[in-house]
Amino acid sequence: MTEILIRTIEGSTLNSWILTTTWLWPFLEIIHFIGLSLLLGSMLVIDIRLAGYIRNMSIMRTHDLLPMAAIGFFINMVTGLLFLMGDPARYLINIGFQIKMALILMAGLNALLFALRIKPIMTQWDPCGDTNTEAKLIAYISLILWFSVLLLGRLIPYVGTG
Amino acid sequence: MLEWLEYTSLSIWVAESIWGYPIMLSLHIIGLAVVVGIFTVYNFRLLGLFNSLEFEPFLDFFRLAWFGLLVNFVSGFTLFSSQATFYVTNIPFLVKIFSIIAGSLLAFKIQLRLQSSVNAWDERTAQPNKKDHSFAVISLALWTSAIFGGRLIAYL
Repeated sequence: MTEILIRTIEGSTLNSWILTTTWLWPFLEIIHFIGLSLLLGSMLVIDIRLAGYIRNMSIMRTHDLLPMAAIGFFINMVTGLLFLMGDPARYLINIGFQIKMALILMAGLNALLFALRIKPIMTQWDPCGDTNTEAKLIAYISLILWFSVLLLGRLIPYVGTG
Repeated sequence: MLEWLEYTSLSIWVAESIWGYPIMLSLHIIGLAVVVGIFTVYNFRLLGLFNSLEFEPFLDFFRLAWFGLLVNFVSGFTLFSSQATFYVTNIPFLVKIFSIIAGSLLAFKIQLRLQSSVNAWDERTAQPNKKDHSFAVISLALWTSAIFGGRLIAYL
């Protein structure tokens, strides 16, 4: 199954374009690094406040940073897909890559939990006060997940291949 | 001296053990995300984006960014020492180091300006001026150039 997928991707024009375009790969890596800085930087501010720290920043306002996180995520989804299309055999069978994708999915679910459970009641909180236990849990899980995603991405070349 | 550095026990551990190099790379990427992430958020704020965010809390976030820089100085130094003679003649590495030194000095300057204007900015009796805007743009450019240099070390 994975092998058929790998062979299909390797036969595509997108695959040969990515591999034959000079400097494209390092350029995509640089963009991927910029994307992760946007994503992690904004999530760091949002989650640290949601965890109850740095309370002189109004909690509602930190969420104005969400578009920055979304743009960072989008940049990295696009560049990440291009890495996958360029070298599917390297990523699809790599355990680090597989766990990284699972953690991104979990971070998505965690964000959904935030949108459903915390966002509707956040407006009633003191903007410079403490948050509730559930919010703190969501914030810590978010930080752990995104930093693990970061680590796994960096370690893909060093971990086993399935 | 650089050759001596390559033969210290720490650099040999980083260069030859299975996990030394990846552990240092891991710390280095975490530090990068914290440093560039926080400074980027603040530079955007200086330029007028995320206008609703107060300035004062950024003094705390700056502290976190400096801690990230320390992590990267230490992890970066161990990575450097494992191949010191290679790095000192590598152009992307030199570009990266220049960008980081300039970026850090500028970030310090930006923090000083935040400290002296924080009350006026938060009371909205004053706004970041042209100079603050240029500093923010140069700062963003320097951190971007540091990332460019760092990534290209592997290719040039």
